[in-house]
Amino acid sequence: MAQALIDRVREKFAAAKGSSHRGDEVVTVERGDLVAVIAFLRNDSACDMKLLRQIAAVDLLTFAGETTGGGSLASIEAPAYATAHKPQVEPRYYVSYNLYSITKKQSLRVRVDLRSDDLKLPSIASLYKTADWWERYVYDMFGVVFEGHPDLRRLLMYPEFVGHPLRKDYPVRKRQPLVPELDFPDLVRGPGPGPGGAGVPMSQTHVGRKNVDPNTYD
Amino acid sequence: MSRLPVLYPEGHVPESPRVGGEDKSVPVLLSRLDESLGWFEKALSGTLGWARKNSIFQYPFVTACCGMEYMSAMAGRYDIARFGAEFPRFTPRQADLLMIVGTINVKQTPVLRRVYDQMCEPKWVMAFGVCASSGGFYDNYATVQGADRVIPVDVYVPGCPPRPEQVLDGLKILQEKIQSQRHRAATVEKAKDVG
Repeated sequence: MAQALIDRVREKFAAAKGSSHRGDEVVTVERGDLVAVIAFLRNDSACDMKLLRQIAAVDLLTFAGETTGGGSLASIEAPAYATAHKPQVEPRYYVSYNLYSITKKQSLRVRVDLRSDDLKLPSIASLYKTADWWERYVYDMFGVVFEGHPDLRRLLMYPEFVGHPLRKDYPVRKRQPLVPELDFPDLVRGPGPGPGGAGVPMSQTHVGRKNVDPNTYD
Repeated sequence: MSRLPVLYPEGHVPESPRVGGEDKSVPVLLSRLDESLGWFEKALSGTLGWARKNSIFQYPFVTACCGMEYMSAMAGRYDIARFGAEFPRFTPRQADLLMIVGTINVKQTPVLRRVYDQMCEPKWVMAFGVCASSGGFYDNYATVQGADRVIPVDVYVPGCPPRPEQVLDGLKILQEKIQSQRHRAATVEKAKDVG
C-alpha cells in the first residue's frame, strides 16, 4: 500500500526518490518541490494526509553511517576526536516531515537534504497549522530558517541563548546562565561557580578535568 | 537523640570578646549582665526556634515529576502536617520553606530567584530530588546543575523521585537545623546576599 503511495508521488514528481527503511516509506525531494509535494499529499484524495505528526531535523556531523561512507555511529565518549577528524559531510542536515492519513491509515516521510551553508526551507505553516510550532522548534534546535513562516522565534530556549543546542558541534556541557551562579564547595561537582558562572567553563569545575577548551566538546 | 542547641553568632548584636575567632565561640570575660542576657537570649532563641520549626509553611516550587511524591508526602498516608508543616502556601510571601520540587532549567532561574527574594525572613530552602540537588542525569545545555547554583539550599533530599519517608526525614533534619540556629525577637535579620 505504501509503495503505491510512493509511486503516486513519483508519477506526479519524477525527481522524488522513494526508499523504505524498516517499514517506513520515505520520499526524498528537492527543496524546490517540497511545498508542492506536501500540498499534493495533503489534498490528493488517494493520499489524504491531513495529519502532520512531526517535523524533525538530523545533524549528520558525527554520524558515520551509509550517508558518509564511514563505520558506525561516532562514539559519544570521544566526540572531540570525532569533531577533529570529522568527515566532510555534505549535505550535513536533513529535515523530515512525518505525515499520516487518518482515513487511509498510512504514513509517509518526506525528507529534504540541506547543505550547511544554505540552511533554508520554505515554510508549510499555511498548509498545516501545527507546522508553525514544529518549524519554530527546528529553527530553535538546528537553526534551519523557514522562509515565509509567520513568526519564526525560538520555541524552547530563551531569546538570550546563542547557538543551536542540538547541532552536533554545540559543546555538550556548554551552558548560558541567565542568573550569575553562586560559589559553593562541592566534592563531586567541583568547587566554584557553575559552568559559565564567573567565566569558568564546565570542564574546569569537574574534578580531574582542567584547561579543556570550553568551545569544544569536553 | 538529644542535641544541645548551638548558637551561631550572626547579625549586628554586640558580642563578648572571644578567644580564637568566632568559630571557637568561647567568651573570655562574662559579666553578670552578659551572662543574664546570654541566658535570656538562649532561652528566647530556643523558644522561637521551637515555634518556627513546628510551623513551617511551605511554598512548593513544583516543576517536574517529583511533584507526585510531594503530593504523596502531603496527603493522608504520609501526612507532612504531622511534623508541623501544615499548609502549602501558594504565595512565597506567606511561606517559610521553599521546596524546589523538580528540575530547574536555565530558563526558570530568574523566576526561582524572584520567588526566593519575595519570601520573608526567616526562610529556608529544601532541594527535593536529585534534579534540584545536583541536576540529576540532565547534564545538558538546558539544565542548572543543582538549585544551589542559584539560591542557597539548606537541606538536600536525594532520590529520583525521593520516597515520602525521605522527604519527612529531610524535614526533620531541617527542623533540627532550625532549632540549632540563632533566633532573635526584634532585630532585623539580614538576608544572605545571593548577589
